[in-house]
Amino acid sequence: MQKWHWPTPNGLPPFHISIVVICSILLLALSASMVEISYNRIVNGWRPMVDFLGHLLVTPDWSYLGQLGAKMLETVEMTVLATAIATIVSVPVGILAAENASPHPFVYRIMREVLSFARALPELVWALVFVSAVGLGPLPGVMALAFVTVGFMAKFIAESIEVVGKGAVEGIQSTGGGRLQTIMFAIMPQALPDFAGTLLYILDHNLRAAAILGLVGAGGIGYDMVISMRMFEYDRIIMIAISIYLIVTLLDRLSDKLRKRIIHGKVNVIR
Amino acid sequence: MVKSMLSANHAMAGLEGRPRNLFPVWLSLILIVLWRITVDLDIDFSTLAYGVSDMGEYFSRYRTPDFSRISTYLELILQTLATAFWGTVFALIVSVVLAPLAARNLSPHPLIYRLSREMLNFMRAMPDLLLALLFVAAIGLGPLAGIIALSIHTAGFLGKFFAESLERVDGGVYEALEAVGAGFLQTVMFAGWPSINREFVGYTLYIMDRNVRAASVLGLVGAGGIGLELNEALALFRYDRASAIMILIITVIIVIDHLSSYLRKKLN
Repeated sequence: MQKWHWPTPNGLPPFHISIVVICSILLLALSASMVEISYNRIVNGWRPMVDFLGHLLVTPDWSYLGQLGAKMLETVEMTVLATAIATIVSVPVGILAAENASPHPFVYRIMREVLSFARALPELVWALVFVSAVGLGPLPGVMALAFVTVGFMAKFIAESIEVVGKGAVEGIQSTGGGRLQTIMFAIMPQALPDFAGTLLYILDHNLRAAAILGLVGAGGIGYDMVISMRMFEYDRIIMIAISIYLIVTLLDRLSDKLRKRIIHGKVNVIR
Repeated sequence: MVKSMLSANHAMAGLEGRPRNLFPVWLSLILIVLWRITVDLDIDFSTLAYGVSDMGEYFSRYRTPDFSRISTYLELILQTLATAFWGTVFALIVSVVLAPLAARNLSPHPLIYRLSREMLNFMRAMPDLLLALLFVAAIGLGPLAGIIALSIHTAGFLGKFFAESLERVDGGVYEALEAVGAGFLQTVMFAGWPSINREFVGYTLYIMDRNVRAASVLGLVGAGGIGLELNEALALFRYDRASAIMILIITVIIVIDHLSSYLRKKLN
């Protein structure tokens, strides 16, 4: 193969890229023992993996289909309910956490910190906490999902409010509109397409999260997943995995289409 | 729901004079659906209201964090970080290979494009904990299962993000390289990646961030990290320990969060 000549003065890869790559490799090497990666493990790790994949090639347990459907429905319902609760909470919180709509810089700062706290821990940790507080079932799952979602959604909402054009805001203010009126008629309509994009993204994320909340007994399909794993019921595992894949993909496609229709791809949710 | 709301909006745009306001109709429909869901899930929010004082008592148990096992926790936190890092690096490698194949304007063949897109979709659709559960069963307990799970799941995300960024690059940039006789690899290497270097770093940082969060719960299924310790503390009703662990996790995640947003700001 012909030797590559990088488009730099000396033909070598740029300095900063080389540094990052070398440092990463060093870090990987240093932490290898910590994560129990060794030559031996990699060489001998293939066999159990192949064996396991072989186990997965079984005929699905069709009698489980009914229960699977019920559990998947529960998962979706938890997602929708948690997202709805989070939306109701997030809109006012997001307004308070937006620099240009917040009544006071102090409120803005506090709100931002609270949101960053809510975002810090994964849903599953909150689910653990809420399960030991209110007991097993979908309720702690919905609570955990809604709590973390507020952290994300209110932040996204606040950010989309912050980039709203000044013109409409001044327009409303110049006709004597108060704070609430400004928010209602100048800020909200401009931030709305962004909201829709955010909502779809969050719904997507929450569905995945809801699917695993059952691991700690917080409702949804996750519980069945763990149980059938413990019982080595591969014929059920495979059904659960496929149904999660199907439903997540379905929502993904749907939200992609909707998002394109709403915003013509101009919103970038992840900043 | 949003779709129907949109079509309602379009319909309203076509009318003259004051449009019919369909908002109350949609709102009540949404509320009915939500009410049906609460009934179906057997969630009773009134118990929550009764329970507020109990909840206060419950959360007060977390008030006195017990840091006596701090060295174990720190070690596990380091393991969590290492798991996230390894997972991110693997995901990066996989997605750097797959993304150019999954970018419509770069992919050597429409079939390869479709196939790699589907592959990325599949990787993304599987929740990381489900994958971790599977890999723990396959290769045994430990962080390696977590690393594989994280890298598969997030390679799906990164690959999709990169592919979309590569698709947004101006076609002229690719043409220029092809015009001087560059092959697929050279076009990708010297026109593709350099054009999206900012997004590249941004998305990678976002995924690293996300992986630290995810790695902190991988222990629940035995895939290494601090999660197992937290689970055990709660199972033994050692709220003081659980509180200490949660404080540590929150601190680490917030530090990483600030670090990555600082790096991102510096890049722009």
